[in-house]
Amino acid sequence: MDNRRRIFLRNSLGVMAAGCACAMCGGANARTLQYEFQATEIASRTWAVHGRNEYFSLENGGNIVNVAFVEVPEGVVVVDTGPSRRFGEQLLRLIGEKIPGKPILRVYNTHHHPDHFLGNQAFDQSLVAAPQKVIDNISSEGNAMADNMYRLLGDWMRGTEVTVPGKALDAQSEEVGGRQFSLFYLSGHTSADFVIRDDETGVLFSGDLAFLFRAPTTPHADITAWRSAIETLRVTDRDLILPGHGPSDGRGESLEQTLDYLDWLDGSLRESVSKGWSMNEAMKTPIPPRFRALDVVDTEFERSVVHLYQQLEDELMPSIQISQ
Amino acid sequence: MSDSTQRTRVVFSPEGIGRLALGWLVLSVMLLSAANAATDVERELPDDPLDSVMWESMANRFFPGGDIVFDQRVIVDAPLSAEDQFFLPVTVDATALETNGLHVEEIVAVADLNPIPHILTLRPLEADAFIGFRVKLQQTTPIHVGVKTSDGIWHVNGVEVDAAGGGCTAPAMAHGISNWMETLGQTRAIVRRESALSTRLSLRMRHPMDTGLADGIPVFYMNEMQVKLADGTALADIELYEPVSENPTLTLKPRVSSNQSALDVRARDTEGNEYVFELPVPDLVVGN
Ligand SMILES: [Zn+2]
Repeated sequence: MDNRRRIFLRNSLGVMAAGCACAMCGGANARTLQYEFQATEIASRTWAVHGRNEYFSLENGGNIVNVAFVEVPEGVVVVDTGPSRRFGEQLLRLIGEKIPGKPILRVYNTHHHPDHFLGNQAFDQSLVAAPQKVIDNISSEGNAMADNMYRLLGDWMRGTEVTVPGKALDAQSEEVGGRQFSLFYLSGHTSADFVIRDDETGVLFSGDLAFLFRAPTTPHADITAWRSAIETLRVTDRDLILPGHGPSDGRGESLEQTLDYLDWLDGSLRESVSKGWSMNEAMKTPIPPRFRALDVVDTEFERSVVHLYQQLEDELMPSIQISQ
Repeated sequence: MSDSTQRTRVVFSPEGIGRLALGWLVLSVMLLSAANAATDVERELPDDPLDSVMWESMANRFFPGGDIVFDQRVIVDAPLSAEDQFFLPVTVDATALETNGLHVEEIVAVADLNPIPHILTLRPLEADAFIGFRVKLQQTTPIHVGVKTSDGIWHVNGVEVDAAGGGCTAPAMAHGISNWMETLGQTRAIVRRESALSTRLSLRMRHPMDTGLADGIPVFYMNEMQVKLADGTALADIELYEPVSENPTLTLKPRVSSNQSALDVRARDTEGNEYVFELPVPDLVVGN
């Protein structure tokens, strides 16, 4: 079998496996650059567009994230905008089909990771809102993230430019078009994680503070802060959680699973550093069977070693007196 | 691409080479022979399984002299994709080559497409043929590791690593911190005894490892390290080069018998700063 054939087979098997893993997840057509959205009504007049539980690829076009939109009395509220301009534009079209004739009143960005905000371009910038710290993160790191997305997603990214949210939020709640939203300013997945609750339906949009059946990602994580953010969300009134990645969650399982994984990840990396293992050796740590249910856990664990190891080395390796 | 200053002459295996190319090779080999007749060692350069465009140049510059074989017993462990182009972790384990009285003399690691390819050279004098390190990558590149055994043969293996750009030409993180000079050379280390004869040494030193390729920042890197016993017996010599990541973090396995209780480490950088320290070796904890 020649190489090209093998690559083709591997890719098509990959797509098939992903398609089988999640019945409600959308896909993407890499030939036509059309995202194949599946909008699920997770609560009254509240739609989640579930991405695949995968890493960015040319096949999925970056459709690996959950975004959502809510019909409120006078318009529509959107939570996160996806990985590309194209995604944002197609999302806007989908919203128009589900909720015809109503204006977009507010677009929230939960944090500055590229799969969550690079679709902002499709929306009116003055309506895009986030805490100041999320805005700062998008301003300082957005372009580098967009460059990396061009590298990973190629044509899917055509025309995408960073659009910084036009409105900084600091209130504990705001009313949008006749609906009250509670706003939570947390951190841990990144230095600024913004959580939104629709006070009418009780849906909590957790962003990437919660993952479900998809391994958490840690490129900007502070594990201690993340744990305490999860503690906060645990005791926050809600009826349903829409995690940043994975199915919607009526029982708080996403919080428990994310916390369990972070505890294991932190403990395992601390042990590896204390034994003097290289990062490559740490990457070979067996992953406990209970995390096998988390998609892409092998890849994310390897990435997390790179993200978190050096900080732990500075914390755990004993300091040595030198003479110069 | 071909290296005109090469000391060794290259003779390709004839499979797959057309007559014309072969004729050209014979001609160039003759010219080279005339130039270098006295020092020449003939060897066949095997095809590179990674298909690197720089393979011939890498082999001639960094794995000179002896015959070259690609050998799976040289384990080069690195992620296939660099999560962070400033810190690609690599661990090389060539201990499987040390059979039948052979020992490893040198381990040489190169990143073919880096502007400065040579990453480091380890001479494991009294140490296992093992090293963990981190490297900056300028772009997607093959990484080749050549391991020279005492019979003069280079055993080579490698990996191709996908990376975003710019690892070598961006300023070190240290330059974003105003007092970085004060922390220069700060050292952290762990020494563990893994058996009656062997220890594991993990070492982390603050150093910007400036390549000289970032705008306005002159070259400045840690370039030498020696690990010895307290009685002066040399265990491992390491030459480090510009691509080694900021705050070099190395994992080594020096052989230390149970009657020895300390390692002496001496490191130097390109400004002539010396960093000298002693590391106690703990007793073997049974059942650990
Ligand atoms: Zn995220």
